[in-house]
Amino acid sequence: MLTVIVRRFLLAIPTLLALTALLFFSVTTILGSPATMMLGEDASPKAIAELNARYGFDRPAHVQYFDWLGRALTGDFGRSYTSQDPVGAAIAGALPVTLELSAWAILLAVTAAVGLNSLPNRPALRRFVVLGNLVGITMPNFILGIGLIFLFSVQLGWLPTTGWVPWSDGVLAHLRHMIMPVLTLSAYYFGAFSLVYRAEFSDVYHRLYIRTARAKGLSPAKVAYKHALPNAILPVITFAGLSMGHLTGGAVVTETVFSMPGVGRLFVAAIAGRDFPIMLAVGMVVVVGVVVMNLIADILYTIVNPQIRLE
Amino acid sequence: MGSRAGIGALVVLVACAVALLAPVLAPYDPTRSSVFFLQGPSYAHLFGTDELGRDILSRVIHGTRTSLAIGVGASLLAVVIGAPIGLAAGYLGGRLDIAVVQLIDLFIALPGLVLALIITVMVGPSLHNLVLVLGFVMWPVVARIVRGQTLAVREHAYIEAAVAAGGSALWIIRRHVWPNIFRIVAAQFAITVSFAIITSASLSFLGLGIPPPVPDWGSMVRSGFDVLAINPALSLAPGAAIATLVLGFYLLGNSGK
Repeated sequence: MLTVIVRRFLLAIPTLLALTALLFFSVTTILGSPATMMLGEDASPKAIAELNARYGFDRPAHVQYFDWLGRALTGDFGRSYTSQDPVGAAIAGALPVTLELSAWAILLAVTAAVGLNSLPNRPALRRFVVLGNLVGITMPNFILGIGLIFLFSVQLGWLPTTGWVPWSDGVLAHLRHMIMPVLTLSAYYFGAFSLVYRAEFSDVYHRLYIRTARAKGLSPAKVAYKHALPNAILPVITFAGLSMGHLTGGAVVTETVFSMPGVGRLFVAAIAGRDFPIMLAVGMVVVVGVVVMNLIADILYTIVNPQIRLE
Repeated sequence: MGSRAGIGALVVLVACAVALLAPVLAPYDPTRSSVFFLQGPSYAHLFGTDELGRDILSRVIHGTRTSLAIGVGASLLAVVIGAPIGLAAGYLGGRLDIAVVQLIDLFIALPGLVLALIITVMVGPSLHNLVLVLGFVMWPVVARIVRGQTLAVREHAYIEAAVAAGGSALWIIRRHVWPNIFRIVAAQFAITVSFAIITSASLSFLGLGIPPPVPDWGSMVRSGFDVLAINPALSLAPGAAIATLVLGFYLLGNSGK
């Protein structure tokens, strides 16, 4: 098992190198240059040359890439162009916020999707769940977030509008600030996981062992949750692993709506300020995160279903 | 299922009509500002006015054009890139198929919105660029579905017969494979439109929308978000428009599958 995991990690390295190189060359040479991006299209050639010399953009692109990669591997992502703070520290500070938000959102989405779609078949209830799935999938999350803020903060005044409070300032305050962002981010995944789970669940529910379980007099709930659920949850886990890349996009929007100091908002600020080192570093973090999460999903898969072995 | 497709088709048709008739339907010029900033809903302005005194209803009506243009344009591009790649990979198989599948998997694992953000900030946001960026980000999904369908169609006896009759790969794909998967591609096209509209609205909300003064729903939601307590319609009206249009295309596409 361990050797398999190590091998999968090693196999991921070329992918990571290719993706970071692609990202780096896109930003430095293919799509434009950092200098024109930072100074604007009509900057004077002299200003561009000065900036290039200062940051080393006048060197060949591959030299810049390996220089950047060498430093990045030692944890040095350079300094932000706008704030001059070390990028590594900024990301390290923002990452826990994003990870917590994402973890809650995925947990809620999986629990709600699996729980609600295993409920006994009552047409009225079913229609409600299906409608929820549809809204979850099609409602853009920034609109859902703003709608929630309008309803629960502006109109009812139950929850704080935006912002984020660390655990150290009180568990309750922290959780109160997390409710709406977590709902906002999880809605899409609730819908998507529901579709995947329901298809598998309906399939599993017609198998012989389910008929046996029902024939021996188990309650429908016990059959659904104890016999069908564990066998139908596998595709959801795979899908959750594959969703990690997509999830970062959702986190970018959610953190912006709720002014949370996470990696997503850092990224949006970097985009707005044309802050090239932060863009690259966040891109790198996302790529590594996607690869690692896919690996974790694969490992979870073998734990849930021991018949499957990683090769 | 039928009624859902009907709702989807109705939403899409109404949106197309509104886009076509926007100048007739809109009570005001969507770009003309006035001194009546951030007014609440009234008979003169059903949704009130925005931060520059422009009529929100007129801007929502004209914004239909922007959303439809980006959504349909980007999805057409995604199909034009994705369908031939999926057809070639699925029909020809072999090394080409393995390479294409790996490329698709790689693309799909990456966050489309983050990718679109990076590319858009580099090339600059404009209607034309947004269509190109979103088409480029979304083609792998189309290619994956086309490939899967092609694989399934290829197993049929009539393809074998066509091969035995001496048909070239290109001829068989055009004459036998494409007509059989067209329905699925059309359904996927509608779903792709819905996701293109979500992504472009998200980009606008994050500040990378079509530059003003063109009415753009995502940018309107963004500017209304700051004044949610003063005139919620500035954010909620275009927000509802986005959600409805996305739902319409999604229902239409989903029922076609």
